[in-house]
Formats: sequence, structure tokens, C-alpha cells
Amino acid sequence: MFLTEKKALNEIDEAIKKYKKVGIIGCASCASVCLTGGSKEVKEMEKHLKAFGKEVTFTISIDEPCDKRVLKEDIRFVEDEVEDTEAVVVLSCGTGVQTIGEFIGKKVIAGTNSKYIAQTEHIGEYNALCAGCDECRLNFTGGVCTVTLCPKGLLNGPCEGHNGINCEVFEDKECVFVKSYDLLTKYSEEENLNKIFEPRDYGYSTTRTKI
Amino acid sequence: MRIIPQIETPVSENYPAFEENLIKLLDGMDAIGLNRLNTKQSLPQLIIEQNFGVNALLLCNDLKEKHNIKTAYAFNMRDKNRISVLSDLITLKQTGIKDIIVSEGVHPLKTEFRAAKPVYDIDILGLGLILKRGLISGVPLDFFNFGAAVAASASVDFLKVKKLIDIGADRFFINYTGKDPYEDIIKYIKSKNKEVFLHVKELNISGSTDDFIKKVENLGLDGVIIKITDEKANVFTHGK
Repeated sequence: MFLTEKKALNEIDEAIKKYKKVGIIGCASCASVCLTGGSKEVKEMEKHLKAFGKEVTFTISIDEPCDKRVLKEDIRFVEDEVEDTEAVVVLSCGTGVQTIGEFIGKKVIAGTNSKYIAQTEHIGEYNALCAGCDECRLNFTGGVCTVTLCPKGLLNGPCEGHNGINCEVFEDKECVFVKSYDLLTKYSEEENLNKIFEPRDYGYSTTRTKI
Repeated sequence: MRIIPQIETPVSENYPAFEENLIKLLDGMDAIGLNRLNTKQSLPQLIIEQNFGVNALLLCNDLKEKHNIKTAYAFNMRDKNRISVLSDLITLKQTGIKDIIVSEGVHPLKTEFRAAKPVYDIDILGLGLILKRGLISGVPLDFFNFGAAVAASASVDFLKVKKLIDIGADRFFINYTGKDPYEDIIKYIKSKNKEVFLHVKELNISGSTDDFIKKVENLGLDGVIIKITDEKANVFTHGK
């Protein structure tokens, strides 16, 4: 799931102030799970925009607004209303916002801040485990991602700042390299304990707009 | 056992006055019986750390050119990407400064610059690999006395030290966190004929410096690096 958080309403109000006729599109997938773009949040946004003096032309929740195929199918239900709309508040991650903007050719206003790929512990409690770094090293680390779980994103062992157990930055959390060491020892993967990773190739992430 | 001071470059202080105070600091070390090393000896007399003050390379070069003082340039992987780090190394090569001490660096969240982008483009092993392979024209790893800052309080630190020795690190600087480092790690480093120092912040020394030195004397270290925060008032100038 991709985690989002609600933007402050005054930021949305500022972005939308010059538009009168406004639509709202929610995301029934990730944003719905993290309570930022489901049908309840769409209704709340509708209420807010009306109170702010806007004419809400339509509201809709789309299963996956980041998927052009799904978007194309679902947007047909509000085709005429979109035509009559000046701007659309989108309650999804940045990918959804941009996909919708490109597709409808209208001003889109992001209603959320995009955070990270998240594991859901409970609703409202999430963990970042994967940074989408392009070169997955989990097979060599005992299955824990040092790029994500080490605040410095190190590859080849802990920094000089840990205290033997816990992370220098998040002092209540175990250093991921200590955890990785324990897991590799448990799985008897001695060859991976001594592996030296090459510096990351950031060229991948710069050119990943198309895969 | 050598005791070497380390200091960050000044932020707002008068730079010439800072330089002058460093000379006094080294003279003060002589006065309290700590051997001031001459430039022919292999160890640096002073470690200049790059943080957010005046460019440390400039200071290292000034001390060498104007006062014949041998310095080590300490820098981290937090603030610079590989292009910038390699540029520094090329500059060091040109100026003839051979001693470098590389750390991953304290995360910006633990500094006064919480909003700064943490770079960590390469880690210290990655830098070692780049140098070892001679990827910078004319700057081989063996030109430098490559010092690596490490922890030595967990088994996983042992692995990092082994990897660093494999890629050609010459010296190790163990970050003192309040408890004694693993002696096995020190013994291993020494068994590979590498130098090992304990790196301690002046403010983290409880009790007198002499007592602290006595306490760590039997660990088999080559020396202790004491990071001071004020070049005018510190354990060396006070003769503690």
C-alpha cells in the first residue's frame, strides 16, 4: 500500500480559491485504507468545499486512479460533470493526482501528501519497509532492507554511531544491521555476511519513468 | 600511545585567530608532556574535521604550508555525493595531504540541521572500492592513509572491519560510546598490521583525561583521538 496523509485544509483552500466549480475524486484503494481518500473522506471534502463557497459538480471514488485502464472506465460515470468542472480535488497519492490530471486535462489539486510504500500494522499505524530502490538486496540481508530501515540507507554494515544494539537515530529501534546479522546467522548464510555491495546506481531511479 | 586532538573548523570565529589558537594548542600539548610529532612521522598531529564551518581542506593546507603541521582531513559520507567526495580527494592529492579519516556521519536528524537532506550516496566501503579500483585518474587508494570510523560493540562491527581491511583501509577509529570496545576487534585489526585508535568526544570523558587514558591503555590501541569543541579551552590547554 502507498501511504498518504491528509493535507491541511487551508493549503487546499489556497490552491482552489480561484476556481468555483470543483469536483472531487477519491481513491478506493490505498488512500481508502489509510483513511485519506475513501468515500468517507470524499464526503468530508465535499462538505468542506461547499462550506468554503464552492459548487461541487461531482464526487466519485475510483478503484485505482493510478491505473489508466481503470480510470478510463470509471470516469465515464461523471463524464459530463467533468466537462462542466474547473478543477478537481484528488484524494489519492501523487501518482493518482498526475494520472487524473493528464487524463481529464483539467486543473487537479492534491488533497494528500504522499509518504511511502507501507506495511499496515493497524489502521493508522504503518511501517516503511521498502524504498523501491530498484536493486533489491533482500536475498543477501536475511530479508530485511537496510536501504529503508537504516536511516542512512547504508549497504555494507552499521555506521559508527550505534550502541551495539540500537540505531543511532531511532534509539528505541534495533540497528537493522544487527538484525540482518542475526537472521543471516540463523539461516547459516555466512557467504552473505561477508558480501560487499557496490555503491548504488542512482542512474536507475533517474531513468525509471519508463520501464 | 599517541593522543591526537580533533576539532571541527570554525563557523563564525575569526579564522586567523582560530589558526593561531591551534598552534598554541599544539604547543600546549608539548608543555604537558604529550609528544608533538614532527612531520616526518607517520601520524598526523591534528585532525581537522569538516562539518559546516570553514572548509577543512583549506585549513589542512594552511597548517601544512604555513606552519609545517601534519593534519588529517576527517570527513563524512552524509554531506557530499561521490562527485564531491572525489573532488575533495583530488584536491588532497594535489596538496599532498595523505591522511584521511572517513565516517558515515551523524544523521542530520541528530544535528541542528534536521531538515537537511542526508546524502549517504556511497558508504565508506563504497568509497574504498572506488579508490581501490583506481577509478579516479591518478588517485590510487594507496596514496592515502585511509582511516575508517567504525563502531566496535557488536559482532556485526567485526564484519564491517573485515570488509574494510579487504578493501584496503589502513587505520581504524573506534567510536567510543561509553563502554569499552570489543577487544577481539582490536586484536583482529592489529593482527592485520593496521593501526587502531579510540575516538572519544572530550565531553564524553567522565573524570579526568588521565584516568580515561589509563582505563583504555590496556586495550592494545595505538592511540586515542580526543575531539575537542573549543580550541582555546579544552583538556589539552587545561593540562588535564
